[in-house]
Amino acid sequence: MTVVIGLPRDERASAAMALGGLLARSLGEDMVVCTVIPEQWPPGFGRVDAEYHEFMEQDAADALERARALLPAGADATFEVARARSTSVGLLGVAQRHGAGLLALGSSTAGVLGRVAFGSVAERLLHSSPLPVALAPRGFRARPDATVSEVTAAFAASEGAEELVVAVAGVAARVGATLRIASFAVRPRTPLTAGIGSRAEDSVLNVWSADVARAQEKVLAEVSRLPHAPAAVSRVIGHGTDWAEALEDIGWDDGSILAVGSSPAGPLERVFLGSRSSKIVRQSPVPVVVLPRGATHDLATRAETP
Amino acid sequence: MATLMQQSLRRKPVTSMAEETGTDHGGGQLARSIGLFQLSMIGVGATIGTGIFFVMSQAVPVAGPAVIWSFVIAGVVAGLTAVCYAELASAVPVSGSSYSYAYATLGEVVAMGVAACLLLEYGVSSAAVAVGWSEYLNELLDNLFGVRIPDLLSQSPEGGGLINLPAVVLVALCALLLIRGASESAAVNAVMVLIKLGVLALFVVVGAFGWNTDNFADFAPFGITGITGAAGIIFFAYIGLDAVSTGGEEVKDPRRTMPLAILIALTVVTTVYILVAVVAVAAQPTSEFEGQEAGLAAILEKVTGTSWPASVLAAGAIISIFSVTLVTIYGQTRILFAIGRDGMLPRFFATVNPRTQTPVNNTIVVAVVVALLAGLLPINFLAEMTSIGTLVAFLVVSVGVIILRRTAPDLPRGFTVPGYPVTPILSILGCIWIIIDLRPITIAVFLIWVAVVLVWYFTYGIRHSRLNTAGPTAKDLT
Repeated sequence: MTVVIGLPRDERASAAMALGGLLARSLGEDMVVCTVIPEQWPPGFGRVDAEYHEFMEQDAADALERARALLPAGADATFEVARARSTSVGLLGVAQRHGAGLLALGSSTAGVLGRVAFGSVAERLLHSSPLPVALAPRGFRARPDATVSEVTAAFAASEGAEELVVAVAGVAARVGATLRIASFAVRPRTPLTAGIGSRAEDSVLNVWSADVARAQEKVLAEVSRLPHAPAAVSRVIGHGTDWAEALEDIGWDDGSILAVGSSPAGPLERVFLGSRSSKIVRQSPVPVVVLPRGATHDLATRAETP
Repeated sequence: MATLMQQSLRRKPVTSMAEETGTDHGGGQLARSIGLFQLSMIGVGATIGTGIFFVMSQAVPVAGPAVIWSFVIAGVVAGLTAVCYAELASAVPVSGSSYSYAYATLGEVVAMGVAACLLLEYGVSSAAVAVGWSEYLNELLDNLFGVRIPDLLSQSPEGGGLINLPAVVLVALCALLLIRGASESAAVNAVMVLIKLGVLALFVVVGAFGWNTDNFADFAPFGITGITGAAGIIFFAYIGLDAVSTGGEEVKDPRRTMPLAILIALTVVTTVYILVAVVAVAAQPTSEFEGQEAGLAAILEKVTGTSWPASVLAAGAIISIFSVTLVTIYGQTRILFAIGRDGMLPRFFATVNPRTQTPVNNTIVVAVVVALLAGLLPINFLAEMTSIGTLVAFLVVSVGVIILRRTAPDLPRGFTVPGYPVTPILSILGCIWIIIDLRPITIAVFLIWVAVVLVWYFTYGIRHSRLNTAGPTAKDLT
């Protein structure tokens, strides 16, 4: 289950490398560092295109060289330049050739430091990748020997939510991390103009929270029956008037990652980030892994078999 | 075994109210962030827009040009009740509606009576407002595109139509937004206040060109009775002033801010209303008000002879009335939610959809009922029912202030009524004075409605109340 790192050829490289390295190290898997350059056009008059490609190739080779320098001592990786008509297609092709189980990407430079921001490649892959996609917040770093210590599974009260938790629990147990399931209550304040005080929304939320807490307990009971359960499990509900506040509410440690499922509205075998998940991912201060439903199902089955 | 009397007068302990609203997620203490200006704007925003856009065509035929005095009377009574409301609200440390204050201080059966009034103040008023909205929508469509929705689909059966479809659609839209979790922020309120004051200023300035002193000639054709009768209808336009009173928990220095904010909001609102009333009455003879749809826009059109000022006013009315309908329906759903949580309504009303995090069932029921009312009943009946419900709710609140001063004199109150006991007594007398001059049919329907709710309480509510199972109740608040 190789980890493929989509390497940007600029300063974003370090975050992608740090995340890919962290995940490969935690999972005990190989790492393929890949950068994609455009396909060559059919030969034409003049040598303009060829010159351009020479430049691109040199640029890619330099980028890989810089990436090699980012590897922690003792770590090993395969380095590869792919040619494809688009970066996402190139990355998926490489992933397929290596039988990879995970794609790791960095954030766009347009985002805020410390938050996940989708670049065009991530945006594309988050709605089409057949593999789980991991995204690093902008400027993400990890210590050279760090491994994932806690996995938080975003738990919505929708179809297939339990499966995601079971799948994540299996992976967490494998990498020796603890499991936390988190739900997010995002409600605006009670509008005072309604003349019903400042607390009407709180009591609605309280009923919701109690319902969700019961659902969380139920799925945690399911997790505890797994043949290999994580060392510790916990549940939490983040409250806020917007997603940023709700995500901040539950607190995050170094070595945390967040796992998010795909929307049931999307195709089974591909990642399809729903509107809520998308908001969660964008506000995450830690790396996020988005799983397609097909892969979730496989991982859950694997977690359930002794 | 508790007697029926004891059961129906049991009070909900404040501690359990605090638990329900939840202190486990940092909601225990709200930041006191609202200052005088903002609180006044909340009062103005919540009040203007409920009635002024369509109340003239019902009130002027009752009072004549003396309707100006009706605005003053209704405003004074609204101010008195708002002050009393603020004391009761501050005596119960957990904020809510007058239903929850009554439940905590006056007992279960009184709370249910107040709930019956609140269903009128919120549910029926959102229907009335939606009907008013449809009038302005029709006016705007006519002005801009020269088309009108046919009467069959834009009038109540009494008005010669089949159903008021635009009103129904508005209610459905609001319900959809509420199910998705929409809310009104302070910023939206500020924008709405600007729009409302803007279009009303436009009316006053432009409408003043139609000034004709002859229209004041027969100033009070129906005497004092006409004036108070109209005040009853107009009281509808002052609903929302109590929003100031319920914000106590978030207000900086409530003892000083609350009465000032009520006073400022009341002064702003009353001034605007009186200016509008004076200009409207001067612009056309009393006889022309009756049955006039989208009244303010129609007057502007008549005065200017062109349609654009009327169109601007209609557009402003459409936007601001929409937000009023949204907030009013929202309030209704949350009040029913609280009653459902207390067990006096089926649990169905207090369930929350896991995905949207909103009480979806409850919202749908409210929307269906409000849509039926708005679609099938004429606006004057709806407005009067709203007025009487609100007046009685405020009456109970004012009585409650006096009762609580006697039964729990040491209860800590964040705010006390200035001029006790004169203020609550004046407030009570004012409410009664206005109520008795409402049409007999309105009073009769109101009494039947309260009776229905009380029958419901004594057959269902009293047995399912959560206080039955919650163990012994706190003897007293103190």
